[in-house]
Amino acid sequence: MIAPLFFYLFALMTVVSGLMVILARNPVHSVLFLILSFFNSAGLFVLLGAEFLAMLLVVVYVGAVAVLFLFVVMMLDINIDEMRQGFRQHLPLGLVVGLILIVELLMVFTQDLSTDNVLATNMSGEISNTAMIGQVLYTEYLLNFQVAGLILLVAMIGAITLTMRHREGVKRQNISEQNSRTRDETVQIVSVDSHVAPKVLDDSRAANKRLQ
Amino acid sequence: METITRFLTSPMMIELIWTVAQIFAVIVPLLIAVAYLTLAERRVIGLMQLRKGPNVVGPFGLFQPFADALKLLSKETILPSGASKAVFVIAPMLTFILSLVAWAVIPFGEGMVIADVNVGILYLFAISSLGVYGVIMAGWASNSKYPFLGAMRSAAQMISYEVSLGLVIITVIMAAGSLNLSDIVMAQKDMWFFIPLFPMFVIFFISTLAETNRAPFDLPEGESELVAGYFVEYSSMSFALFFLGEYANMILMSGMTTTLFLGGWLPPFDWPILYLIPGPIWFALKVALVLFVFLWVRATTPRYRYDQLMRLGWKIFLPFTLIFVVLTGGVLLGFGLLPQ
Amino acid sequence: MDLLNLQPAIAEIFLALASLGLVLLSAFIMPQEYASKLVRRLTIFSFLIAIFLIIYNGYKPAYAFNGQFFTSSFMVYMKVIILLGAIGILMMAKREFKQDQIDRPELPLLMLLSVLGMMLMVSANDIILLYMGLELQSLPLYVIAAIRRESLRSSEAGLKYFLLGALSSGLLLYGASLLYGFTGHTSYDGIKIALESNVSAGAVIGMVFLISGIAFKISAAPFHMWTPDVYEGSPTIVTAFFAVVPKLAAMTLFLRFTYGVLADASDSWQQIVMIIAVLSMLVGAGGAIMQTDIKRLMAYSSIAHMGYALVGIAAASDMGIGAVMLYMAIYVISSIGVFAIILSIKQEGRPLTRIEDLSGFSRSHPVYALAMMVLMFSMAGIPPMGGFFGKWYVFSAAVASGHVILAIIGVLASVIGAFYYIRIIKVMYVDEQVIEIDHNVPRSNMMIAFGSALIMAFFLFGLSILREQITAAIPFVVFVAG
Repeated sequence: MIAPLFFYLFALMTVVSGLMVILARNPVHSVLFLILSFFNSAGLFVLLGAEFLAMLLVVVYVGAVAVLFLFVVMMLDINIDEMRQGFRQHLPLGLVVGLILIVELLMVFTQDLSTDNVLATNMSGEISNTAMIGQVLYTEYLLNFQVAGLILLVAMIGAITLTMRHREGVKRQNISEQNSRTRDETVQIVSVDSHVAPKVLDDSRAANKRLQ
Repeated sequence: METITRFLTSPMMIELIWTVAQIFAVIVPLLIAVAYLTLAERRVIGLMQLRKGPNVVGPFGLFQPFADALKLLSKETILPSGASKAVFVIAPMLTFILSLVAWAVIPFGEGMVIADVNVGILYLFAISSLGVYGVIMAGWASNSKYPFLGAMRSAAQMISYEVSLGLVIITVIMAAGSLNLSDIVMAQKDMWFFIPLFPMFVIFFISTLAETNRAPFDLPEGESELVAGYFVEYSSMSFALFFLGEYANMILMSGMTTTLFLGGWLPPFDWPILYLIPGPIWFALKVALVLFVFLWVRATTPRYRYDQLMRLGWKIFLPFTLIFVVLTGGVLLGFGLLPQ
Repeated sequence: MDLLNLQPAIAEIFLALASLGLVLLSAFIMPQEYASKLVRRLTIFSFLIAIFLIIYNGYKPAYAFNGQFFTSSFMVYMKVIILLGAIGILMMAKREFKQDQIDRPELPLLMLLSVLGMMLMVSANDIILLYMGLELQSLPLYVIAAIRRESLRSSEAGLKYFLLGALSSGLLLYGASLLYGFTGHTSYDGIKIALESNVSAGAVIGMVFLISGIAFKISAAPFHMWTPDVYEGSPTIVTAFFAVVPKLAAMTLFLRFTYGVLADASDSWQQIVMIIAVLSMLVGAGGAIMQTDIKRLMAYSSIAHMGYALVGIAAASDMGIGAVMLYMAIYVISSIGVFAIILSIKQEGRPLTRIEDLSGFSRSHPVYALAMMVLMFSMAGIPPMGGFFGKWYVFSAAVASGHVILAIIGVLASVIGAFYYIRIIKVMYVDEQVIEIDHNVPRSNMMIAFGSALIMAFFLFGLSILREQITAAIPFVVFVAG
């Protein structure tokens, strides 16, 4: 009774917020709706009994990826009216392409969606789905897992290559240098003759006198 | 009349009422704890700085939190005209709600938990990673400079420290062999995890300071630079919600530290006599201890500079925790200590 | 099948470890120029070791990583050519890095990672790994296209490549998921077996998307839009890399997918490949005529060459496979030679890329002009140069499979194509010199240009050896039975 209720809640919210991603006028609102739809998808995963995937979806997509996404979108100065320009022009073409795709896919899916092809394995055993994913990921799909890591490495190297620049004249803190500094290198003891007033002092006294 | 009684006594209804009762049993003490944490903070810091702190309202100033609440409630709620209204209103609610829902999986005693889910620790991690949205939304919706700067800082800071937080949690998971928080606590029956994983415990605590935007990592609200950061534009009840959320989050993080490293509801030694004191009391004592350290740190450390903050997160904590994850795994495997 | 047999993938594992080592090295070795020199050399060195490891492993078909990875003499052949191509490019890169101010260790490093992705893509025996390899292959390419950050054109090239590349990856992924949905398998073997019994409409749609995605990567028309702009905007050494190495890998993938996985659905894909082939040949030949920039010209030329190679695939016969393999080998060798010469044409260290800058090249650099002439004749397909044999085998494969019209269109397109290749020769030999071209050409460029010209000129003598290799490799395009 409660589970189907929640299913409809999550499903409806996913669809509605998915729509709002496209319909919202403000890009920041779009991203927020995107996050909401991620969140509701996670809810659907929970209802499916895939709680590990659900949590991963929230941690990775909502907690990290979407934050950065929001971060960037907030910083951009997007002029919505400018973006809408040319919308009318391209609309017919877009509609035609979209329609063709929909018709094709409908044809395909109504024709022979043989569900017995993709066999779902019943996982309701004593082993939790977290352990199950781990067992497959680190054995059967080990190579894919490692290659995914390399792809992320490439993304990181790429981002650094394209953005990092060492500007001149920027003061940077070098902590190891600071720590390895000794007293002898930094402190210089100078004996100052204290009896004769320096000329600077004289000048300032003269200035003071003029002011009075 | 009869139908109503039957409806009220139906198993589903009873279950529902029971759940609601459980939720209240957690939330009400929590909110009282939040109220007194604000008082404790002012008193503790006052004493550390050789002042008295608030001691006028009621005996020892014990009614001070209620006076503060009344003051806040009686103030006018201001919606800035340039603000994005809906987001502006939702942001504080989100912060507050998130700080409450996380408590669903924290075990206060053996079996004393609202939802004993299998992936409890991931749930906690997920909820704490959502906390950044309240801040970002508030900062953006205010449509004002200081809040936006605060939100930016906060987003970068929370994401940076979440990384090391996640890796620390992985070491705990490896040592406990479960993602269930009750199992993690039970795995500490012989030895609390803060002893074998001491460096991780320290990093975890420091990262929670950063996650909750507390001193010395309170740059998002740094009052000397950003006035009050992301909640500059908030007043009255919406400000109160942020305030409550922040303190509830502190308690939550302390609860997390307790559960992961300080043996949760378990007494310090495995002596039968100590079990006479119920688990929730032990839990509350440990949380209070961690909270005291929170306040202690605030009273004694200066604020970090922004680049130092990032350096600490990315260049020190991240590599160190990564190495420690490998090390923990290696030791557990090498000495045959892997759970199960 | 041994579950986690790592031996067949030893070259890939080595390259992955080498890339990690080089990342650390380039982070800690301080003067950046020195680091980039070191990393470039070590990258070449690790490619050589990888070639050694591949050949050492032998030609026997073998699986690794639970059947995700498959290697056989076909893969050995392709991987060795890929690695040789990459080595050739890196050999020429020394002066380019310095002059284009892209003297950074990341560049050879990203090339290394990209080559690793290509090798995984070639050896993948599962569409998940195929996608992973493809992404690992293309992500570094987007970055190195934009490596000259202060240049607007380079950034534009990178961005354009990235956007369109991401789109094509999306298409490919969509196709792959449909294929998985309708066959129930992600492994090539599984898909092939499922398609033997029943080719459903959904699988066909998936196949179309997949082929479009791969066609994008080899820049075959009508998915070629990005090619001229990206080739023109990127630094020339990067363009040379784009023109040679990824094309080869993507073409290998094309071969494996069409001949191996989709072999039993050849009725469905043959027409698509034919259309793509015809369009690429015509677009390549037609588009090149108007070009004044030699890099853009090479872009259209590569589109046309992909079209010719696809004719071999469209033949859908063993002969076709052999023809494509031969064609790609010839394409790689002659392209590297041409780029070696393009990279040598400088004026006071500034690269010249307009075709008219070549005028009088025969008088200032007679030997180079000769090499360029040989390579241009070869690309145009004039006997007895190597390019002629490539085209000959491809077209005869098409004729043997009964696609006479396709072969005729191919011949017509190569006649049109011959026009612009010969125009370059005319500019070099007939036109008056306008620009003084530098004489100090690095030795590596010289060697590569002359080497490839010699190979192309006397290709006839090596043909039988190469054909032997290829014939032996043909049966192993996808997998051994069982």
